[in-house]
Amino acid sequence: MENPYVELLHVSKYFAKVIANHDVSIKIERGKVVALLGENGAGKSTIMKILYGLYRADEGKILMDGKEAQITSPREAIALGISMIQQHFSLVPVHTVTENIILGNVRGVIDRAASEASIRALSDKYAFGIDPNATVASLSVGEQQKVEILKALYLDSKLLIMDEPTAVLTPKESSMLMQFIRDFAAAGGAVVFITHKLKEVMEVADSVVVMRGGKVAGTLQKEGTNEQELAGLMIGKDLIPTTGGGRSVPDDAPVCLELNGVTLQNKGEVSSLEGITFQIRQGEVFGVAGVSGNGQLELCEVVCGATRPTGGSLTLNGEDITGAGINERIQKGIGYVPSDRQRDALVMDMTLAENMMLKSIDDPKWKINGLLLSERKIDRLTQQAIEDYNVKAPGPRAVIQGLSGGNQQKMVLARELISGERLIVFDQPTRGLDLGAIDLVHKTILAQRDAGKSILLVSTELTEIFALSDRVAVMYKGKIQGILERDKLDINRIGLLMAGYHDEEEEAASV
Amino acid sequence: MIEFFTILCANAFRMGTPLVLGAVGEVYSERTGVMMTAIEGVFLAGAFGGLVGAFLTQSLAMGFLIAILSGVIVASAHGWICVYLKQNQVVTGTAIAILVAGLCAFLFRVIFGVPLMPITVTPLRELPIPLLSSIPFFGRVLFSQNLLTYFMFVFVPLAYFVLYRTSLGLVIRSAGENPEAVEVAGIKVNRVRFFTVLFAGGVSGLAGAFYSIGFLGMYTDTIIGGRGWIAFAICFLGNWNPKGAFIGGIVFGFAEAFAISMQVGAGSAIFPNELLIALPYILTIVLAITRKAYNVPAKLGVSYGIEK
Repeated sequence: MENPYVELLHVSKYFAKVIANHDVSIKIERGKVVALLGENGAGKSTIMKILYGLYRADEGKILMDGKEAQITSPREAIALGISMIQQHFSLVPVHTVTENIILGNVRGVIDRAASEASIRALSDKYAFGIDPNATVASLSVGEQQKVEILKALYLDSKLLIMDEPTAVLTPKESSMLMQFIRDFAAAGGAVVFITHKLKEVMEVADSVVVMRGGKVAGTLQKEGTNEQELAGLMIGKDLIPTTGGGRSVPDDAPVCLELNGVTLQNKGEVSSLEGITFQIRQGEVFGVAGVSGNGQLELCEVVCGATRPTGGSLTLNGEDITGAGINERIQKGIGYVPSDRQRDALVMDMTLAENMMLKSIDDPKWKINGLLLSERKIDRLTQQAIEDYNVKAPGPRAVIQGLSGGNQQKMVLARELISGERLIVFDQPTRGLDLGAIDLVHKTILAQRDAGKSILLVSTELTEIFALSDRVAVMYKGKIQGILERDKLDINRIGLLMAGYHDEEEEAASV
Repeated sequence: MIEFFTILCANAFRMGTPLVLGAVGEVYSERTGVMMTAIEGVFLAGAFGGLVGAFLTQSLAMGFLIAILSGVIVASAHGWICVYLKQNQVVTGTAIAILVAGLCAFLFRVIFGVPLMPITVTPLRELPIPLLSSIPFFGRVLFSQNLLTYFMFVFVPLAYFVLYRTSLGLVIRSAGENPEAVEVAGIKVNRVRFFTVLFAGGVSGLAGAFYSIGFLGMYTDTIIGGRGWIAFAICFLGNWNPKGAFIGGIVFGFAEAFAISMQVGAGSAIFPNELLIALPYILTIVLAITRKAYNVPAKLGVSYGIEK
């Protein structure tokens, strides 16, 4: 039997304390697309970075056409015809397309005209429509990806590794990419397609390697499998879909948060919030649906105190908090899980422990005699949170940057659930998380509701809103288009509201 | 009056020479993402090494060679600590500059004791270029300079060409903008950064030697007097571009030439030396506030490292 083009054999990779890959074997054939499927942190990127020479394998070997290949740097990988498009593009934004593509691939004096001409020819051949002279910063994300692909084509690569290539693309761009991948494979090239989206696997792959916890959980041919089987392998257990939202909260339950005509309008600008009025009762999940960018972020910030409304009022348990600062609101029991955790929730260069006490530094629980910070207490409480939320981290003193997105989010949850004694605002709480972490977040939200807390849940994922919410408001251009009771939820009607249509029934229901 | 102005312009290019050289070296270093904040120390090491070398070997050429070497040695300390040990560039550079100041004073005593006569060498002479130097005005301003200034005239366009028209220049510029892109292209970012810092050190060492053996013919502990920092600021003013560094260097050379003629002539009270030293920083602040488009490398001051 003929040897496969590239074969990874029993490759293992260890970082400091963590096993990134253990005994991974993958076969890559010419003319075929291999999907590398797995949750975030399953080791997909790591194993491919080993193949590309960015990391060194601790054990195992790489065979090319049956012969062992030593790949210790990307230079050697490139020489062997391997190209990898990183999840976060490796482009220099202020340089031109040409400069980016020829970086490291030319010698001596640059013949700009010749380089541009050959890149233009490549771009035309694949109908990419990229101007070699354009500055990368001026291109859309989809076009930047084409530049990355052009780089690989320019190097005449035979194996194209793409790390989560569709994460940043619009649906139309995605389908064009899929077409390109099929064409590339049809022309004899090999493709490794890293993803955690089952739909893409079924669409483009010939074979599927499922990874879980750094190991290969299964290698299958697409013909012989289906999405359910793949999902099961990927997660390792059958995921029970969270339902349990949508109980009706009694009308006489005390009101926790009340917004009355809240408006946010900066001078000379269009209002980003306009006359927002709603109540959330104790033990209620209030969902806010809508296309992202319709005032959801502003709504969350107004509730947690980061932004002051220019009109209207907010009350918490009957007490007016319109003028209260962020810290005051934290002490009154408002927790906030922002959508961009790396920007708004965590200090990435600080440790888990430091991030834990970020919002409650004055709390005596961190201190000795209420005065000096106690490292022992801080470590103990953080360790407790790590265990309670099943965070995969070396310990309280680890820098939070080193954790995966899901584990970072768990730390945010741990902190906010403690400080949010009455109300917790969740803005896109599962954005960028894998299925296991999403499940944990959903269960946590319901558990908090059952404990009598009020939840403001903002999400653009309708399934999430449907699964968890007791009532749903739809936002459009800073206004609430309508508030739907649980029993009146209907995906078509919400879709219309999200698109900006009114209808009489919701008008009546929202009063 | 015309005579005065001609001399002033000629001196502007002479006094601007080390500033331009140092600033272009700094441009290269910063384009890879490393601020060579040790530049004041590199200048001083160059001035010191130049004089010691020239005095002991009685050869100016050897003096300049040893100056370059001294600059490279100081820069290698800065580069090693900042690039490979990933320490803060500003803190490291400042510390090295202070260390070099102490070390030069100390080594001077060790080598020469307390000399009864000042230690002097004959500095670089002016070398008028035949024919060209007889052009009115420009002949005296541009073509009656010393070798170092002529070197600078060749060095700046060459540095510009390499930075913008060659593969090496592209790698250097990319290293300071997106080091990951360089690494993924199969080039070791830290190696690029380290060697560029060494290059900047050599050029700045040569610049420093201008003051001791290219101009005064002697060495004092305060011979550089903040001019390294001026070159550092010119890099910023010149928008991280060798052309800009050239213009900036000549402008400050002009200011310095003006100050010298004031001191020699009407008296230094009108134009205090402190003001001259403060001027680039005042200009830097004004420009920082008013300038809209920067070439500032995106990853300037940020260490690069991946786990292997």
